[in-house]
Amino acid sequence: MRRKLGMVFSIGWIMGLVLLSVLGPLLMTLEPSQPIADPLLSPRTHPPLGTDALGRDFFSRVLYGSRWTLVAGSLAAAITVLGGTSLGLAASVSVRWIDRFLIGLINAALAIPGLLFALLLTASMGPGFRTVILAIGFGLVPGYTRLARAIFLQVRHEEFILAARSLGARPISIAFRHILPNGLRGLMSLAALHFSWSLMGITTLTFLGLSGDPSIPELGALLNAGRQYIRTAPHLSLIPGTIISLMVLAVYHISDALD
Amino acid sequence: MVPVSDRPRIRILILLLRRLGTGFLTAFAALTLTFFILRLVGSDPVDTLLAQGLTSLEQAEQLRKDLGLDQPILNQYASYLAGLFQGDLGASLYTRRSVLQSILEQFRWTLELAFSGLVVGILGGLLLGISASWWRESSIGAFAATLASLLTAVPVAFLGIVALWISSKTPTSIPRTILPTIVLGITISGPMARLILAHLSESLEGPYILAARARGIRRSFRLLWHALRPILPPLLSLIALEAAFLFAGTVVTETVFSRPGLGRLMVRAILEGDYPVTQGLVTLAALFYTGSHIIADWLALLFDPRLRELS
Amino acid sequence: MRPQYNHHPARFLLIILLGVFVSSCQSSQQPTTLRYGLTLAPSGLDPHLNASAELGIPLHSVYDTLVVRHPETGEFLPSLAMAWHISPDGRVYTFNLRHDVVFHDGNPFNAAAAVANFDYTVNPEHNSQKASAMLGPFKQALAVDEFTLQLVLQEPFAPLLDSLSQVYLGMASPEALDQWGASDYQFHQVGTGPYRFVEYIPNDHIILEKFADYSWGPEIYANDTAAIERIEFTFYEDPATRAFALERDDVDIIGEVPPQDALRLSEQAEFTLLPVPIPGQPLQYFLHTQRSPTDDLLVRRALAAGVDRIRITKTIFGDLSPIAKGALSAHPFASILPTPQVNVPEASALLEQAGWSDTDDDGILDKDGQEFQIDLIAPPWGSNPDVAQLIKADWEDLGAEVNLVIASSFSGLRQLQSENQYHAIGLNFFGTDADLLRPFYQSEGVYNWSQVQAAELDELLASGAAHTDVPMRNAAYQQAGEYIAEQALILPIRDYVNLIVHRNSVSNIQFSAQGWFPFLIDLEFGS
Repeated sequence: MRRKLGMVFSIGWIMGLVLLSVLGPLLMTLEPSQPIADPLLSPRTHPPLGTDALGRDFFSRVLYGSRWTLVAGSLAAAITVLGGTSLGLAASVSVRWIDRFLIGLINAALAIPGLLFALLLTASMGPGFRTVILAIGFGLVPGYTRLARAIFLQVRHEEFILAARSLGARPISIAFRHILPNGLRGLMSLAALHFSWSLMGITTLTFLGLSGDPSIPELGALLNAGRQYIRTAPHLSLIPGTIISLMVLAVYHISDALD
Repeated sequence: MVPVSDRPRIRILILLLRRLGTGFLTAFAALTLTFFILRLVGSDPVDTLLAQGLTSLEQAEQLRKDLGLDQPILNQYASYLAGLFQGDLGASLYTRRSVLQSILEQFRWTLELAFSGLVVGILGGLLLGISASWWRESSIGAFAATLASLLTAVPVAFLGIVALWISSKTPTSIPRTILPTIVLGITISGPMARLILAHLSESLEGPYILAARARGIRRSFRLLWHALRPILPPLLSLIALEAAFLFAGTVVTETVFSRPGLGRLMVRAILEGDYPVTQGLVTLAALFYTGSHIIADWLALLFDPRLRELS
Repeated sequence: MRPQYNHHPARFLLIILLGVFVSSCQSSQQPTTLRYGLTLAPSGLDPHLNASAELGIPLHSVYDTLVVRHPETGEFLPSLAMAWHISPDGRVYTFNLRHDVVFHDGNPFNAAAAVANFDYTVNPEHNSQKASAMLGPFKQALAVDEFTLQLVLQEPFAPLLDSLSQVYLGMASPEALDQWGASDYQFHQVGTGPYRFVEYIPNDHIILEKFADYSWGPEIYANDTAAIERIEFTFYEDPATRAFALERDDVDIIGEVPPQDALRLSEQAEFTLLPVPIPGQPLQYFLHTQRSPTDDLLVRRALAAGVDRIRITKTIFGDLSPIAKGALSAHPFASILPTPQVNVPEASALLEQAGWSDTDDDGILDKDGQEFQIDLIAPPWGSNPDVAQLIKADWEDLGAEVNLVIASSFSGLRQLQSENQYHAIGLNFFGTDADLLRPFYQSEGVYNWSQVQAAELDELLASGAAHTDVPMRNAAYQQAGEYIAEQALILPIRDYVNLIVHRNSVSNIQFSAQGWFPFLIDLEFGS
């Protein structure tokens, strides 16, 4: 019961954020990257959230920021899910040595801690928002592949698939006709889990200043820009930080409930 | 009697050795992967050197030769491996100093932070996890469970900023080393508490425990230990996993708190394109990761006789 | 069972009182260690080989130089050299050295020691990043006799004395240079200055201790020997942590405090804010003269006029930083160029004149089917990322589509520059001689990031470097400055000011002519 309630709240919160970030630009007339007033005005003098250190309206930066983070997180998660599912599927139906090779490669990649792997990719491609998305998306592929493969292997050993195989169905058709559809529920939970990680990863990399352009309002970048003013204007970092945490928590909850 | 008890021991030994072998292979594959990512996708190291203020092209050519960069990539890989087996990780492009030496200098700081963070994290995780499952019917348990999942979701960076904010509000100054330790510890305690909660709830439903709880608290605490024992193997492997990820966690913590350490060294090397340092650190991280996993697996085997039977 | 008397209130009070008494005793005692916060952990600390300005903060007091510059007048004064003479053709500099100077390791300082220093610096295997370039067309150093040093140049080079006055050409013990070599000398530095180099742990700390035998200081130092026994330098690379470090009482003095924090601290009783102007180039962006659309002078002028430097400077630096007037800072290069004013209507008119207008009504100007796109690259340090965001906002207002990239490091910046995909790119160097302009504006200059090719400018800069006659030099640099402004080669924003904040328990803080380097010898505790 409690779980269901949590799920409702989580989905509600995420939908709310999506709605706000879609409708936000329609509601707000203020550009998030243009300075409009003196810097660091308090929320009282310039409602609702004051201005940031460069005199930009902080409320519109937060609204646009949620959108940037959600979009970037979804794109990265899409890369992970597509790449990981196809690799996992390939590994689970192909001949033993290909499976072995893929697993070896994945284990090797997993031996490099995720953040370091993403940093390594960023280093190779140079800073930029696209780089951050690609680095997180590809950085999460190995872990996802391993888990997806485990799900597929479980499905593969079920009776109807053994039956299909004995009837002489080709591996590719088994993969798409039987294994993929039957692993779908597990995969959805896995995808949600990785979405929460990609949100976390994206905001960490942008927090470290790797997004290239800090005028792009993205929550991790806002968190980084705000922390210098933690004493005088704590809301500049506390608000984006709280939104990130709740976003990750909600997606995490959804993944839990799907499991 | 002797041969019977000996056979499983030998089997365990073989199992352990095999685990060591795959671990070694994995670490080796990881450093190979890094080598080729850095060299093939990354920027030309000589560009990085030119950025230092070397002006003439002759100087650049000379450097390219000195560093062996005029050789084909496979030859470079071979000589890197040859150096590695002699404990030579190469030299930084910037400081010209041995990478191993730079790493050893910074190692102390990260080890100090990571170890104390791990201890705080384990203690916090146990406390949260056990209280969440022990009082799971009451609001204390619900609170602990919510806190545990919240802590899993809060980015380290944000936690660090919140810690700095709170410490700026307190009148007495908190020593510099304590905050990063607590922050790192908290990020570990979240996942750990969730793991304990997931496993412990099941075993606490067992009739023995229910009966014990009905009889008295002192007795039931002893039983709690019995309920905890089966979850030691997954707990150990989680600790191993966390220990390995600490390396990454310290990157952010060290940045937020401006502490020296391997994480800062790594970020700096990556930003400046100092590839020998990056390569050395990733190799170290991979070794550390596989090492801690092997130890966790071994401990798990020692703790759980059922695993022995299975394998 | 423990006895209960611990909890007696009176006893508790007594313990607190005792504690207060003891701690007040301690604080009334004069501390002997000064804690100095540095802002950048240099990748190398050898001033002869590495280039960072930060390394000079401690090392300026570890070394003495042949000559020094007066912090206010800029006049050259004796230090290790008691007197000097420049040959009429400007190619031979002869120095009479002091006889009474010893290095911290006990070795005597003489002409042979000085020669060893120059040899070490120009040795091509050592890849000196700054010092060897500061010597210009250097040919060789000779020890004429024990205390007479001669520097021979291939051609006249006016900035030489200025170079010799800087820590990068400070005199090190030849024995130490020889013993440790180029990679390890940075950890074992030995000079003749008022402080001894004790320890350097990268990214963590540098420790200096008073050199008690010091007695040959130049007249710009007030004290004969250092007043403070020991100085401990620690690093605060993250700007957000610097004010914290002061407030937590981790440091006594720190530089490059972010403007908002500096202003806030200056209002508190225990701190003083000391804005120190840094001579050299202003925070500036080079406009690419060979790539469309900034190859058009009208476009460059429009981009310069469309940026509200006064508002940008006020937003980011408060009232603590002067608006830049030209290619060099107003202090000490009193410039005659007027303060640039923002003029958006003029900027728009210039763009229209250049043929850019919004024909497809998408909010972005276009010409012949090309969108008005500007690639802006900014360095990651200091306030550059903030400034770049506001420049971007202003250019977007003019109808440009601006792609901003903050480089990851200096090498990242160099790399983006070498890819040549930019219209505006930020970089500025510091220096006390106007010859600083040469590598940036001469056709063949290493930092000619405007990619300007102008014979007129080349000639002016070459004559400025070759003539020792001060009025002639100044005239050449003034003309060069006017040319740079007319051609809109740069977008100058503000002159650099280092915001130092210190506890009031520290006094007598003086800085060298270069602005960055404190005279540690004169620092004292107590007001």
